[in-house]
Amino acid sequence: MKRRDFIKSSLTAVAATAAFQTVAGKAMAGSVLKVGVMIPLSGPAGLFGPASKNVSQMAAEDINAAGGILGRQIEIIFGDAGLPPAEAAQTALRLWRGEGCEAFIGMHDSAVRGALINVFKEQVPYVYCPNYEGGECANGVYYVGETPAQSVVPTMTWLANEKNCKKFYLIGNDYNWPRDTNAIAKNTIADIGGEVVGEEYMPFTVDNFDSSLAKIKDSGADMVLITLVGGASVSFNRAFASFGLADNVMRLGTLIDENTLMGIGAENSKNVFSAASYFANIETADAKAFAESYSAKFGSKAALLNGLSTSCYDGLTALDAIAERAGGLSVKEMDSVAEGTAFGSPRGDAVMKNRHLTLDIYLAEAKGTDFKIVKTFSKQEPGNFCKA
Amino acid sequence: MEALITFVLNFIYSSATLALIVLGLAMVFGLLGVMNMAHGEFVMLGAYSAYVVQSLGLNFIWAIPISILVCVVVGWLMEWTIIRHLYNRPFDTLLATWGVAILIRKGIEAIFSRDYKSVDQVMPGTIDILGITYPSYRLILIAIIIFLFVTLFAWYQKSKTGLRIRAMVQNPGLASAVGIDTSRLSTVTFIIGVSFAGLAGVLLAPLVRVEPYIGLDYLLSSFFILIVGGLGTLEGLLIGSAVIGGSDALISTIFDKTAGYLSVLLLSILFLWLRPDGIYSRR
Repeated sequence: MKRRDFIKSSLTAVAATAAFQTVAGKAMAGSVLKVGVMIPLSGPAGLFGPASKNVSQMAAEDINAAGGILGRQIEIIFGDAGLPPAEAAQTALRLWRGEGCEAFIGMHDSAVRGALINVFKEQVPYVYCPNYEGGECANGVYYVGETPAQSVVPTMTWLANEKNCKKFYLIGNDYNWPRDTNAIAKNTIADIGGEVVGEEYMPFTVDNFDSSLAKIKDSGADMVLITLVGGASVSFNRAFASFGLADNVMRLGTLIDENTLMGIGAENSKNVFSAASYFANIETADAKAFAESYSAKFGSKAALLNGLSTSCYDGLTALDAIAERAGGLSVKEMDSVAEGTAFGSPRGDAVMKNRHLTLDIYLAEAKGTDFKIVKTFSKQEPGNFCKA
Repeated sequence: MEALITFVLNFIYSSATLALIVLGLAMVFGLLGVMNMAHGEFVMLGAYSAYVVQSLGLNFIWAIPISILVCVVVGWLMEWTIIRHLYNRPFDTLLATWGVAILIRKGIEAIFSRDYKSVDQVMPGTIDILGITYPSYRLILIAIIIFLFVTLFAWYQKSKTGLRIRAMVQNPGLASAVGIDTSRLSTVTFIIGVSFAGLAGVLLAPLVRVEPYIGLDYLLSSFFILIVGGLGTLEGLLIGSAVIGGSDALISTIFDKTAGYLSVLLLSILFLWLRPDGIYSRR
């Protein structure tokens, strides 16, 4: 066969298969339920892709073993959310209109979430998984991650009291999550009679924090709230400790996960605290069972579990719980029953309130490159972002 | 006063490390005209050598020969299979080396995954100097870099190989006519250049984050320095590092980091526009 003919005929075949699948997908609704799972498979957050994929598959298997969603077995189709928002939105559109996904799960940044909400236009249920800055309440969107009202307020208050911290320095990357988190943190600091001695936002390209460290030292801060992300957090924390600041200055972050702590290293992790709704070594029976079955399934060398990847499990579980309660997958049905939906997951029991979750928050202290839970704040309310 | 001393030490530290990072790229670009887009990946290979050495429980010093070995092998393969066919074709080398960069990044990702790795400091802790507390390892690093540059400068000016390289750079045709094996000399120059990148990676590893994508950061800052400093001289390289490192440190201290980064970009644009050959050009 000539090359040109070959290309032509293969294209025809692909097109035919695609057309058949779309038709078949619609005709056979009632059998397999396709769920689009948008996770970062590339880009800077691609680090969390492998674990998110594993966890989503585990959740799907557990749901299917328990009879699926509304009696239908589910099948996960992954889409790359590590792309720029417009491209990620195209991917989601293809999964929805092309592949016939009837519900979506998303573990990605807020910019992509905004783009996806514009694509879905309240026509398909969408569960947003990771912790985020709060403030959203779109129809058909359910948020299973913690907001700063849940993660920052109780942990910062407790830690400041425990360690007698009065002067606070806020440092983060320059985008909405750190800025919104710090706006809430500043209220908390005022409430506990503390003082903000510095606030700084870094461009993503920065990997030298010397000038900030000099300012932190100069300010006499006794607690630093870190909302730097990923690599920036690693570089900052390493330099922070190398200047000998770690002994007397507490560091608290709400996105210092297991991977970030590995990068910070045992040598530099003294007095690093992290607040989140999940850590890989929470000592509850559910969390332990989850971690054990994860390593049994994917091996001990599998991508590390953390709050972000595990949130995919909660996302799929929440979708299951709300859909079962609604008896259908339409946004209208699901929105009308979402409030009060309760479900259990590796991180504990949760109840949906104002499209967010009331859930337990853990404060962990770094011990070497491991986290040790020092305090559990149970049933933290998400706050209300839905206007009546 | 304390703030000033901290600032001066930070300035010396960042200029010195920038100079160390850009050294190999400046050699390869300035002497051979090859824009090595995989330069940062050799820094990354150096950092991973340090990580491997430490996780095997060996003394950190072993990282230096091992990283150089890795860079010599990878660099030689790269020169032999790709670069040597593309001398005098700057745009093609740019594309080809970018391809190699992706290959090295993905290779490391396949072996070590994308997880962050941590390399321990050889000399952790701080020492009190001039009335302030400063990380000990940084001071050692500054001393090593100064020693390295002095040695290199002397070697380039005094040694026979240095003389041959200078002859090749000034007039390749004439150099080969008088019996200098320019093809071999180019290979050696390229390998030495990437080995310096690997060495930079080893020395910096205890202070920075280590993951497969760090090379890109180092490539970017190297560009700015080359633009400001100009090509082909060690003096220009040092001045470029000091200007870029210094303006970033100064503006960041007075205003904030965003302003500091902006100043680096503005400087680079101004130089490209008004002095495209940099401060210190041999042309």
